[in-house]
Amino acid sequence: MSGKINLVLAGLLVLCALSVVKAQYIARHLFIDLEALQQQARQLDIDWAQLQLDQSTLGKNARIEQIARTDLNMTPLTPARTQYLTEGTK
Amino acid sequence: MKRAGDNKKGERVAASKGVKFSTSPLLAVRLPSWRSRVVLFVLFAAFAALAGRAMWLQAVSRQFLQKQGASRYERTLELPATRGKIMDRNGQVLASSIPVKAVWAIPDDVLAEPPEKLKKLAALLEMSEAELRKKLDSDRTFVYLKRQVEMDVIDKINKLDIDGLDTRKEYKRFYPQGEVMTHMVGFTNVEDVGQESMELAQQKTLVGATGSRKVIKDRLGHIVEDVGLSKEPHDGKDLTLSVDSKLQYIAFTSIKEAVEKFHAKAGAAVVLDVHTGEVLALANWPTYNPNDRTKLTGEQLRNRVITDTFEPGSTLKPFTVALALDTNRVKPTTLFDTTLSGRIMVGDKPIRDTHPHGVIDVSTIIQKSSNIGVSKMALAMPPQEMWEMFTKSGFGQAPRFGFPGAVAGRVRPYKSWRPVEQANMSFGQGISVSLLQLARSYLIFARDGDIIPLSFQKVTEKPVGQQVISPKTAAEVRAMLETVVLPGGTATQAQVPGYRVGGKTGTAQKVINGRYSQSHYIGSFAGIAPMSDPRFVIAVMVDDPVGAIHTGGGVAAPTFAALAANALRAANVPPDSNVTEILKSENLEED
Repeated sequence: MSGKINLVLAGLLVLCALSVVKAQYIARHLFIDLEALQQQARQLDIDWAQLQLDQSTLGKNARIEQIARTDLNMTPLTPARTQYLTEGTK
Repeated sequence: MKRAGDNKKGERVAASKGVKFSTSPLLAVRLPSWRSRVVLFVLFAAFAALAGRAMWLQAVSRQFLQKQGASRYERTLELPATRGKIMDRNGQVLASSIPVKAVWAIPDDVLAEPPEKLKKLAALLEMSEAELRKKLDSDRTFVYLKRQVEMDVIDKINKLDIDGLDTRKEYKRFYPQGEVMTHMVGFTNVEDVGQESMELAQQKTLVGATGSRKVIKDRLGHIVEDVGLSKEPHDGKDLTLSVDSKLQYIAFTSIKEAVEKFHAKAGAAVVLDVHTGEVLALANWPTYNPNDRTKLTGEQLRNRVITDTFEPGSTLKPFTVALALDTNRVKPTTLFDTTLSGRIMVGDKPIRDTHPHGVIDVSTIIQKSSNIGVSKMALAMPPQEMWEMFTKSGFGQAPRFGFPGAVAGRVRPYKSWRPVEQANMSFGQGISVSLLQLARSYLIFARDGDIIPLSFQKVTEKPVGQQVISPKTAAEVRAMLETVVLPGGTATQAQVPGYRVGGKTGTAQKVINGRYSQSHYIGSFAGIAPMSDPRFVIAVMVDDPVGAIHTGGGVAAPTFAALAANALRAANVPPDSNVTEILKSENLEED
């Protein structure tokens, strides 16, 4: 009788051991995925910072003014030729 | 079971012709009994040796072996922290760190590579081959070839596949606004440590804390597990400055144009927000590009708004008048005789006006900027009260706005004032202030008589002011300041189309070798705009303009006007004046 129990337990033990191996294997894979995603997140952060920089560089007032003046032939507006509309007045 | 076996044996007996296997004579040979003991002993000894070895590995050399094992798969990774970004009040990035790499080499290994590879490497590192070889000609085993190399170049270098060449991660700080914003933002050195301005002042909050983690890597270099404690990296905090990129650009271009137009040595401008005390713009010329500091000189580096003091000259007159008004000694209409000769004696020293004005009221004294008028007013007041007025307005006081290199200026203790010195101080001589202090002090006129602390960071709470003069006095002085820019005033060129503005000019002779120079001046203007509901205090300083025009009214006032006009428009301030066209009069009064 005890022999049978031992047999069953031994079988279970083997199964458990195998599942531990399997779980560890899966865990490692998930961990590698996690790492890759974290790396991707960091890279995206860097890209974001880079894009913000680019935006700031391209949006430089000096550059905009130059383009407005030379490429688009714009001139600064003056109050003399500006119609001001104020809410609540006639 | 046994029985069945016996049966089989029986059959086998039959097969081997009646001779029993177990009784084979061959097997009957008796061996000496010691031989089996020897075998037994050897086996036992072998097992004992194994057990001993196991014991040895497990117990005695365990630490050594674990260390060796760990060094084969465990790695401690440094987790770098990024330095915080610096942004303007609208979230535009002014400074940001991007990861780059430092290229280093083991000289002997690199020199063993074929020469064409070195040539390509030198080209990628933007140096000549000779320079590269010079760097490699070293006894050391570690040589930096170039620092802060951008990633796309690194990729190309990696493709060359040079032995003994490696890279190290580091950060490079970029300043997209460049020279326009640099006196506000500052810069960091190659180690990402703040060196100037806000980068230096806020170093502690900007810098992050690097972290580390211990991991196990597999043979492919993948991280498979975290082991032990890991330290989280903390990125530096982002910093939002009070500065407005648009206003900064306007201030910068205005001051740059002024310096070039008047052939001045330098110039500076500052714009303050009247309601919050925020520094909206702070511009200097000459300036420098923080992204390329190879040819940086001290002149360029100098932040004149904050670190330079000068004699403010007539821009200080409103303070003397405000004190006289506030203590009810005079009214705006009180008349003073400024003499027809334009000259009075205080002790044995003369005080002069450039033009004689005769008998004029207090308001006209400010409008015409009469030295004699304010001197007479000042001499009727005790020095202590004047000193207190100056001190409360922030002159001679250590600035507390957390900016490196900020100076206190100088106001001598009132006990040592002689009457002529008191008279001189009433129109801004014998006293020194920084442009920022001057701008801040004008807040008492722009606001209702109170002064608030300045801030270089965005302000979210309403600042608490300290009352210096009564709201009534502030309004009276404001009215006088407005007359200065109107026809008959010293700064008609400060007029802004569409807006009511006011301010005061100042022309100070520079002190050269301890004496007042007759040919070197600093022209300044401190103004408020718009007058109906002040939004900005703007102070402009032009250092050493060369040519016929050198007064505050001539060089600083038009700069103020250009700056204020664009700033008001950029900030969408509704116009408060119907005057939209201004005829420029060249007929300037001296101040």
